[in-house]
Amino acid sequence: MDVFTKPRYGSKVKFEGQLSFFQRLRYKYLTTYFLKSFILKIVRFVFLLGVAYIIIFPFISKIAGSFMGIEDFVDVQVKLIPKNFTLDTYKGIIIGNKYWELFWHSAVLSVGLGLIQTMVAALVGYGFAKFKFKGSSIFFLGVMLTMIIPHQTLQMALFMKFRNFDILGIVSLLSKIFGFAQPNLIGSPIPMILMSATGLYFKNGLFIFVMRQFFNGVPDELEEAAYVDGAGSFRTFFKIILPISIPMLVTIFMFAFSWQWTDTYYIGVFMPSRANFQVMADLVKVPKALQATGFAGESAYNKAILNTTGILILLPLVIIYLFAQKTLIQGIERTGVTG
Amino acid sequence: MNKAVNPKMNIQSSPAKRRKRVSLNQKKERIGWLFILPFVIGFIAIYVPVIFESIYYSFVKSQSVAGAGNIYIQVGFENYRYALFTDPDFFQLLLSNLSELALNVPAIVIFSLFLAILLNQKMIGRAAFRAIFFIPVITSTGIIETINIQASLVENMQNLQQLEGGTTGITQSATEQILQVADISRLFNNMFIGRELIEPVVGLVNQVYSLVDRTGVQMLIFLAGLQSISPSIYESCYMEGASEWETFWKITIPMISPMILVNLIYTIIDSFTRQSNSVMNFIADTISGKKGPDGYTHGTAMAWIYFLFIIIIVALIGAIFSTAYVFYQRREK
Repeated sequence: MDVFTKPRYGSKVKFEGQLSFFQRLRYKYLTTYFLKSFILKIVRFVFLLGVAYIIIFPFISKIAGSFMGIEDFVDVQVKLIPKNFTLDTYKGIIIGNKYWELFWHSAVLSVGLGLIQTMVAALVGYGFAKFKFKGSSIFFLGVMLTMIIPHQTLQMALFMKFRNFDILGIVSLLSKIFGFAQPNLIGSPIPMILMSATGLYFKNGLFIFVMRQFFNGVPDELEEAAYVDGAGSFRTFFKIILPISIPMLVTIFMFAFSWQWTDTYYIGVFMPSRANFQVMADLVKVPKALQATGFAGESAYNKAILNTTGILILLPLVIIYLFAQKTLIQGIERTGVTG
Repeated sequence: MNKAVNPKMNIQSSPAKRRKRVSLNQKKERIGWLFILPFVIGFIAIYVPVIFESIYYSFVKSQSVAGAGNIYIQVGFENYRYALFTDPDFFQLLLSNLSELALNVPAIVIFSLFLAILLNQKMIGRAAFRAIFFIPVITSTGIIETINIQASLVENMQNLQQLEGGTTGITQSATEQILQVADISRLFNNMFIGRELIEPVVGLVNQVYSLVDRTGVQMLIFLAGLQSISPSIYESCYMEGASEWETFWKITIPMISPMILVNLIYTIIDSFTRQSNSVMNFIADTISGKKGPDGYTHGTAMAWIYFLFIIIIVALIGAIFSTAYVFYQRREK
């Protein structure tokens, strides 16, 4: 037979000095280097798993409690898995607390305000990042100031501002001339819209800051090319800059949306009695159908109901978050918040 | 010789033409103002008056007069004196809050840096971990904070078991149940370390949930910073034979030191002004009139004291860190 014919496909041919399969295995996996990195990997994984557990555990226990029947709250054996599985808690809250109505109101408010805040943050951030002029640094200090002063400090003053709405004395002058009462904006969403449109709403200073950092990282050549082609500043902004900053805009919008969605402070100050326009903040109460008194697990039962309202509030956010997650993290990583 | 004047001089000195011409810089300046106009209007027309009004409230006292309703009379620094010296709780609360934060803020920053470094490495399930660790950013504000997200259910089960077993009175929180704090303090006790050292550590471990809850934004800022470090720096380090430990202290820490400063300041402001902060709660209660009739003016004075307090701390830390510890990369632009 010819020794030099090619070996058939799949057959093993030994070369001089080649190691056997087990030897190769040994040299690859039985080394201190591999062992060290392997143990490190395991430790890292377990640690991250533990932290993830701490974050997720309250949600698990809340979800478990929301499916429990009323008997489970006095049963010692029941820990996390309900014995009497029931959907009554959800049913009671959705019907009794008018979940869908509140959902709709909150959605309109959050989407509207979120869009306004995102747009304003982008405009103002772009102005601060790309145009250097006298006074811009003073107003940027102003942005920082709105970030630092908590709005609780200004609560009463803000309330009074919109209770007798006035801008630098113009409105009061007009009202004296034309003889109408000073407008009272408390109880309408106008104060919130005004504050969003002027970048003074909850953490809008942070949004402006982040947008400015982001636009600082956008190369000037992009705009110069647009200017050479004859586009104006605003056209460049809307046609060139905004499309490339979509991940950032989505991030800002998500923040604005979810903070407005779970907000209790602003809605409490500006719309204290909202009989016709209830939002998610009004969901947190025990509905009439589920009220039960006089048994050992009462406080836990009520707490579980309130926690279920919490789940119902968070659920839309989590769903949106899961869909937007990739864009979100991409957007945050692109900020490049460097000094 | 005298008549040979540069023709360009004539054009420049004619006033009618110069007024009309706007230089490119001036034009850019105007457009810049247009871009920041929304904020400028809001700042001047709403924010500044509101701030002045709030300061005004902290110097007055409301008094009801028959027929005229409420009127305000000026009392000078009376409200501030009340907040600092007369009120039994405020100053104590301020100090205890400060000492608590002195421990929590570094813990949060270090922990978020640690997590960010871990999550920056290639590993199984990195995307899933990132998604989970970002959840608190969305959930730890507003209403969810007030519902008390702590696992009340587990707490209750514990109570029930104690009822059955006859040991009532001691309730453990959920986080304690997760971590079994008793074990940790016993471990430290056996190591013969002073009690003063043990207590803060046990305290930190105790509130691990709220700490993890507050690391979301900081972690993402650190992640962004870590990814902006050029990999070639690390490569050259390994070529020179530096170990991971050395690279961490000589490369990673200096390169992200600006982010450490940003995070430090963000964490301080966030911890001082979040709704669950004890001083903020106290001020809110005072303003809403739960602590006494003159609540509003007293509360505003307290809020301004608190705000000054925050500004001083932030300015101090910013000044110390930015001069001593922050390394700025020199960029050519």
